[in-house]
Amino acid sequence: MLPRRELRPGFWLVFWREFTWLRRRPFLLALTTIVPLSLMALLTMVFSAGLATRLPIAVLDLDSSDLSRSLIRMVDATPDTAVAVRVGELAEGRHMILSGRVDGLLMLPRNLERDVVAGRRPEVVFFYNTQTLTIGNLVLRGVNAAVPTAAAGIRLSLRTAQGQPIEEARAALSPTPVQAHALFNPTLNYVYFLLAALLPSVLQIVIVTTSAYSLGMDVETHYRLRILRWLGRGLWPAMAGKVVPYTILFLMVLGLSDAVLFGILGLPLRGRGWLLLIADVLFILSCQFIGVLLALLLKPMASAVSIGTLLTSPAFGFMGIGFPRLGMNAFAYGFGAILPGTWYLIARIDQTIRGTPLDLSWKPILVLLAFVVVLAGLTALWLEAIRVRPVREAGNRPPKILSEAI
Amino acid sequence: MIGLFAVFRDEFRRIFAHRPAFSILVGAAVIYAAFYPQPYLNEALRNVPIAVVDADGTTLSRELARRVDATPDIAVTMVLPDLVSAEREVYAHRISGILAIPKNFERDLLHGRASPIALYADASYFLMYQRVSGGVVAVTGTLGSEVETSRLIGIGVDPVLARAASNPLQLTAVPLFNPEGGYATYVLPAAFVLILQQTLLIGVGLLGTLPRAELAPGLTDDAPPRPAATVAGKMLAYLLLEAIILPLYLIALPHFYGLPRLGGVIPVLIFAVPFVLSVSGLGLVVAAIFRDPLTVQLALAAVALPFFFLAGFSWPIDAIPRAVHVVSLLLPSTSAIAGFTRLAQLGAPLADVRGEFLMLWGLTIFYGGIVWILEVRRRRPGRRNAGIAVA
Repeated sequence: MLPRRELRPGFWLVFWREFTWLRRRPFLLALTTIVPLSLMALLTMVFSAGLATRLPIAVLDLDSSDLSRSLIRMVDATPDTAVAVRVGELAEGRHMILSGRVDGLLMLPRNLERDVVAGRRPEVVFFYNTQTLTIGNLVLRGVNAAVPTAAAGIRLSLRTAQGQPIEEARAALSPTPVQAHALFNPTLNYVYFLLAALLPSVLQIVIVTTSAYSLGMDVETHYRLRILRWLGRGLWPAMAGKVVPYTILFLMVLGLSDAVLFGILGLPLRGRGWLLLIADVLFILSCQFIGVLLALLLKPMASAVSIGTLLTSPAFGFMGIGFPRLGMNAFAYGFGAILPGTWYLIARIDQTIRGTPLDLSWKPILVLLAFVVVLAGLTALWLEAIRVRPVREAGNRPPKILSEAI
Repeated sequence: MIGLFAVFRDEFRRIFAHRPAFSILVGAAVIYAAFYPQPYLNEALRNVPIAVVDADGTTLSRELARRVDATPDIAVTMVLPDLVSAEREVYAHRISGILAIPKNFERDLLHGRASPIALYADASYFLMYQRVSGGVVAVTGTLGSEVETSRLIGIGVDPVLARAASNPLQLTAVPLFNPEGGYATYVLPAAFVLILQQTLLIGVGLLGTLPRAELAPGLTDDAPPRPAATVAGKMLAYLLLEAIILPLYLIALPHFYGLPRLGGVIPVLIFAVPFVLSVSGLGLVVAAIFRDPLTVQLALAAVALPFFFLAGFSWPIDAIPRAVHVVSLLLPSTSAIAGFTRLAQLGAPLADVRGEFLMLWGLTIFYGGIVWILEVRRRRPGRRNAGIAVA
């Protein structure tokens, strides 16, 4: 049924044996494909909007003047905020925030218009919920944009009332305007910023744990590692034959999620595709070898899987996407540095939205390469070290068990 | 009732007897308590490095750069001759922004003309972008109104009126609940809820799938406790365990890390009851689906990350597709993160989280009911012998 019969021991034998295993173990196949793909699909749906717009805020209008009404209109008109409710008093607004129905409360004081005209500089107060930092910052941005626009209109009319020509007055309004450019992600789209980083982070957890599991099955039984070695005719072909089938699978998973990101959600690829592909492969390999090493060092296999989960599932915070590594303490910075995901995400951001020049792109890729070399080397050393003992004790197994294992 | 108590006692014993379950329920909880918060403990991002490209080179342009450097958010780490070299530094991840001051900046200002400056801020990391643009806009805004006020005074406008004309309507933004805008204060209260759910879910899943060695007294094969007693007994055992762990996580830990909080202890504990029960119920359902401890661990390893963003905490619910949000309500974390953070951080009364509270009770009944049905079916004649072994 398979080309296995014709194959002599070597890389391809181990390679095809692994695929046969995958066919016989639908759970392992699901774990390496369907599970990460569905988690990624879920995240993609969550962030599919890309931008969070028209977040609800409440307004307490104690003035009810033309000015206060036009302020409310402007706040409602910004893309960030929407006036969801009018409240009659502060306590009601507070209740709206505490019950989670609005994210902020804009209070327009009594006599607002009269005081503005009289030059008494009345105060418009915006209470906003910073417990949810992202959302709090977004509603603040909306109000921050709307109120000065309204104020500019007033300033202009104050000046023209003083007899200043309108052109001159307009130029005088803002003596040092800032032309702010958001580099690389001008619309501040969360798909390009957060989702594009979250998907590989999910994959990192899946790769480490399933690699520990799949190698763990070879390590659990006493003789299987040696069989694996015999089948591969040597250490390196056996290791490669065991690892590469999963590399291909994970690369397909990553490729599929990237196809959605690039093709449907419009993530730009401003750098080099081939460089991104190299980074993909090195990232997957480093994660795989972490799982392999865990399975070799920790027994039973369940603890290897547990430790793998323990290390990788909180990893997203350490990779410096939400809170940059620049602001972290030494421990968190150091731990972030030994995660393949940290370097992969740098390489990924470099090649997608940033379009980093080639000569500045190499650092994260070389670090990933170093991970692969060191981790694969450690694996080989460890396998050499444990071979010496059991071979002396038990000698080679008869071919009967060999055929069982295949 | 005796049956329920026997199940309860036996299940509570098993938590400590089974090493894998114990190390998830207690060990992992302890490790995460120390490990997870590490990236965020500095709370704020300060001194984000930027470069200044000063084509003007005057007193005023240097004053602007000095003021930007003096903000806590930004540090001017480089002064570069042109935009091209500054751009390379951005690509090399050494700086996160470029402040470009054009030629004749000072002269234009002194002549009463508008004198624009350009800011290029790295938006590939949002928090860096926010710090850089927020800091520069604040500094230039202040500088702008100073210039404008002094101009007006210069042409003979009364100083009080001049200030009013440059800023007729003040906007005072009052951040509530997390006044420093700290990242740990923001992310940890929600993350702790999720860690509790994750450890309890996997722990219960393991206990439900691990083979049991021998039956405890009172649980003999001849007179098994009624299905409802079995389900309730187990869930109460997990409730007792979490009665120790949850207060440590949601009350002691935030206190230890110095997170500001306004809520009282009692509402949090009352809200915790349906949370723990619903997660326990879900854990038992997970155990019934996967039936193997390793499968439970592997299948649940990566779910925490999507669950966090489904909760509407860091990404608003209004931006999540309606259908996805409705389905996500089946996860206790979706209601629990919203409820716990409002109770503990915002100091909301229980009445303000009524919807979430009822939802968690609903999930308790829903998952408890599923487990009860599975238990009843398992006891049917003919399946009995096979069933007990995996209970």
